[in-house]
Amino acid sequence: MNDIVGIVFDLQRGALHDGPGVRTVVFLKGCPLRCAWCHNPESQAFAPETGRSGKTYGWATTVEEVMAVVRRDARYYAESGGGLTVSGGEPTAQYMFCAALLAAAKAENIHTCLDTCGALDWPRLDALRPDVDVFLYDYKATDPARHRALTGIEPDLPFANLARLLEAGASVRLRCPLVPGMNDDAEHLGAIAELGRRWPKLAIELMPYHEAGEAKYGDLGRPRPELSTHVPGPAEIAAWLDSLHGAGAPQAALG
Amino acid sequence: MAHAASPFRQTMKTLHDLNVEAALAAPAPLARERAITAAFRAHEHDSPVTRELAVLSSQFPSSFEPIEDGDLIAGRIRYPLVSFGPEPGGLGYACLAGQIRSVVTERGLDEAARAEAEELIAFWEARTTESKTRAAYPPALAAALPSDAWTSDSGAAFPLYRMAGTVLDYAKLLRLGLGGLDAEVAARVAGAEPAQREFLEGLRAALRLVAASLRHYAAQSRSLAADCGDDAREAELKVIASSCEAVAQRAPATFHEAIQLAWIYALISGTWNYGRVDDWLGPFLARDLDARLLTEETATETICSWWRLMKAYENQFNNRVIIGGRGRADGDASDRFALLAMEATRRVCLNQPQLSLRFYKGQNPALMARALDVIGEGCTFPILYNDDVNIPAVARAFGVQETEAAQYTPYGCGEYVLAHRSVGTPNGVVNLAKCLELALHDGWDPVARRQAGPRTGNVAGFASFEGVWRAYAAQLEHFVAALAEQERIEYDVAGREAPFLFLSALYDDCIARAMPIFSGGVRHLGGTNETYGNTTAADALLAIEHVVFRDRAVTLPRLVAALDANFAGPDYEALRQRLLTVPKYGNDDDAADAMAQRVHEHACGLTRAQAARVGLDSYLVVVINNHANTILGRTTAASADGRRACERLANGNNPTPGADRSGVTAFLNSLVKLDPGIHAGTVQNMKFSGGLFRRHRAKLEALLRAYWAGGGTQAMITVVSRADLESAMREPENWGHLMVRVGGFSIRFVELPRDVQIEIISRTLYE
Ligand code: SF4
Repeated sequence: MNDIVGIVFDLQRGALHDGPGVRTVVFLKGCPLRCAWCHNPESQAFAPETGRSGKTYGWATTVEEVMAVVRRDARYYAESGGGLTVSGGEPTAQYMFCAALLAAAKAENIHTCLDTCGALDWPRLDALRPDVDVFLYDYKATDPARHRALTGIEPDLPFANLARLLEAGASVRLRCPLVPGMNDDAEHLGAIAELGRRWPKLAIELMPYHEAGEAKYGDLGRPRPELSTHVPGPAEIAAWLDSLHGAGAPQAALG
Repeated sequence: MAHAASPFRQTMKTLHDLNVEAALAAPAPLARERAITAAFRAHEHDSPVTRELAVLSSQFPSSFEPIEDGDLIAGRIRYPLVSFGPEPGGLGYACLAGQIRSVVTERGLDEAARAEAEELIAFWEARTTESKTRAAYPPALAAALPSDAWTSDSGAAFPLYRMAGTVLDYAKLLRLGLGGLDAEVAARVAGAEPAQREFLEGLRAALRLVAASLRHYAAQSRSLAADCGDDAREAELKVIASSCEAVAQRAPATFHEAIQLAWIYALISGTWNYGRVDDWLGPFLARDLDARLLTEETATETICSWWRLMKAYENQFNNRVIIGGRGRADGDASDRFALLAMEATRRVCLNQPQLSLRFYKGQNPALMARALDVIGEGCTFPILYNDDVNIPAVARAFGVQETEAAQYTPYGCGEYVLAHRSVGTPNGVVNLAKCLELALHDGWDPVARRQAGPRTGNVAGFASFEGVWRAYAAQLEHFVAALAEQERIEYDVAGREAPFLFLSALYDDCIARAMPIFSGGVRHLGGTNETYGNTTAADALLAIEHVVFRDRAVTLPRLVAALDANFAGPDYEALRQRLLTVPKYGNDDDAADAMAQRVHEHACGLTRAQAARVGLDSYLVVVINNHANTILGRTTAASADGRRACERLANGNNPTPGADRSGVTAFLNSLVKLDPGIHAGTVQNMKFSGGLFRRHRAKLEALLRAYWAGGGTQAMITVVSRADLESAMREPENWGHLMVRVGGFSIRFVELPRDVQIEIISRTLYE
């Protein structure tokens, strides 16, 4: 199992923003979605790429090679309640590698998070549950047409899987990218609040839009999707939080 | 190769500049300097004790400056340009010729005064303790260490002239008072040999000078109180007056009296690191608080005033105040002082004193919690020291029991001293990156253009990496051996020249042995050697190993040609890019960290081995930092890690700025790989964003806990954002408050020269 090869495009140690505690985040390359706001364009294609700058994005590696790095920070995980986060791209798109990596970490008693958009068949997602302590679950848009337009896929599968995970008692952190003018509508915020009311233990993290990934589009020779939006200011972010708190989802917080 | 003239001296306010201001302001220019010179001249051929006392009597109390508005404690000092002391004006008898000449010029003194000043300078030329030290070098040593100008000349090693590395026994001073201390010395006089008797009587006379200085301030504060016309200020001045009067004769009874005595003693002694202050002041504080003689607020304000006086005694590289840690007599009382000390640091928001918290598992958690609050506010203090690692490490490095090692005290930029038991003045600077540069040129210094080191072989003849290593090691060994001999000579000359009475009176064993501190009095005579460019050398060595010998991508002579050309030339930039891709220390990379360990263990081991040879109790590396990495970088040619000529060397034993790209845990893991038990202190800079402190405090605490548990020795933490620093470079006028840590000291960012600012920005910031 530990010699399964995957394509990884980044490996961040000492990460503080992707799950509980201090974590190592492994970013698997490749994503079936095409979110308009994606700030990791290098995560989308499955094969390694070389940018115009000569920089390469992605390399082939084995589960064991990744674990050799993950293990080095065991001390920090233990002190902070942190561990491994498998992210992407969409990490479940490299299903075998993703599953083996999570299982390898669990076998060593390392806490695991899976950062997923949930667009995979339920049985495959369900099979990962024993090896995932916390799901970091993307929730991108509520209206189906809008979801399709913004991400390139139908929302049915992600929504259904989210409900199944919650019903099965999985620990879930909802991660909500909020892009002004694109998905910060009342319906979407209302749906987030509704989930928060219904599942009091569901953590809700808002991830306000930012422009950090712009340069990478250029390097990859790809046009950056035109977005009629802006980087939200503190007042706008506070208003989102207020509306969620007011609608009975006190757990909503900035990610 | 072009080397920019050093901008540093113009921008950095040094103690010496301040002395010039004082001398300029004096009503009769150079009057004090002339008086001190006359005192020396009159006793030049008398015994060292008589001569030192004559000079000290001329120097004090006249070097004490008036009490200023707002001072809650008396004690401001301006060293004259000719002086005696362990280090403020220079080593022992010192004459700051350059500064004297600027006084003459800036005051527009007439021809006669100018001639008189020149005569004074000429008189001292061969009589300063520094010049006598240099004169004592055997020819081979003088050849190995030809220059003393480490801030401007190119070289692998330089001596420093000072008796730093002393921490006095303030607990004893406060317990006995001047009178009790005098009685102890007097009791030793009976039965002493004549020479010993002269020394002991000298100690008593020195203590009388301390009392006279206290009375000087008592009288001054009485008269200020009489003319003051403000009731509140009058009351403060009367407290100062009565404390000064009291401790001129008896042991201190209150917190205020205790600080007052300790501070005047510290100033007059010329030592500017104060050791375990909570240990010696805690009991006085607790007694006064419990007896309701004092409120916490008044105590905190008193400490704030003291901190401001330390700042006035401008020395960002020193002014160390240690709190916390194992081995304090009254832990609870000390903790109470420690908490107020941190509050005072938060309030004054100055770059001095360098408040340092020692801590251990099981210590009152309020101390560390408070420390992180204060650091999180951007104060850069306290600096953190992990006793659980450091005490066993110091025991091993110094060869002492752990009970004695528990008194380790960070001094100056970070070298450890065993408080009032050991002296460990750092009197040598060695640049490891320069040693590698010499090794790649058969001992030739391509910047100074001279044969600076031993001939260790032409690079064309190095068939393997081990050949390069042996040449590098031989260069370093040559210079460290020279510095060790130099250190011993400097101690010997200092001991021959003067008994350093103020130090001897409060250093273990000097009274019992009736011997001056540097003439057999001190219990543990150690020395330290400041190494710089450790990481630059290690990264460069690994790059040579990988690119030249493993990958065979370039020959060694061609690599050296690229370095000599500062990477300007055909294909050299491509080579430089390749060198940059070789793993670097600071990423938890096995190969890079192993090379850093090899460099560290070699330098530390070889330095330690000198002690027995030159007759010191210990001689240890310190990997401290101040701005020396930037200064020495200016005279270091391009290096094989990809660094261009004149750029800064890596800081302390930290990664090359910006080279640690694998996350904070990888950075911390690399740090703990360097054995702490073979040196006398290292400096670990960490920059965290303010957001991390505010929003992720629990994670930050966990990170630090894991670092300490993994063997982390020390951390100096700057809280800042990169955007802050960039704005500060653009609009310095708006960022006067921004304090950053430059290894061994904290400073206002906007006061730093541009290249140092860039170096700081380029260090990795963990968000
Ligand atoms: S799911 Fe994530 S990686 Fe995939 S396109 Fe959307 S934002 Fe980018």
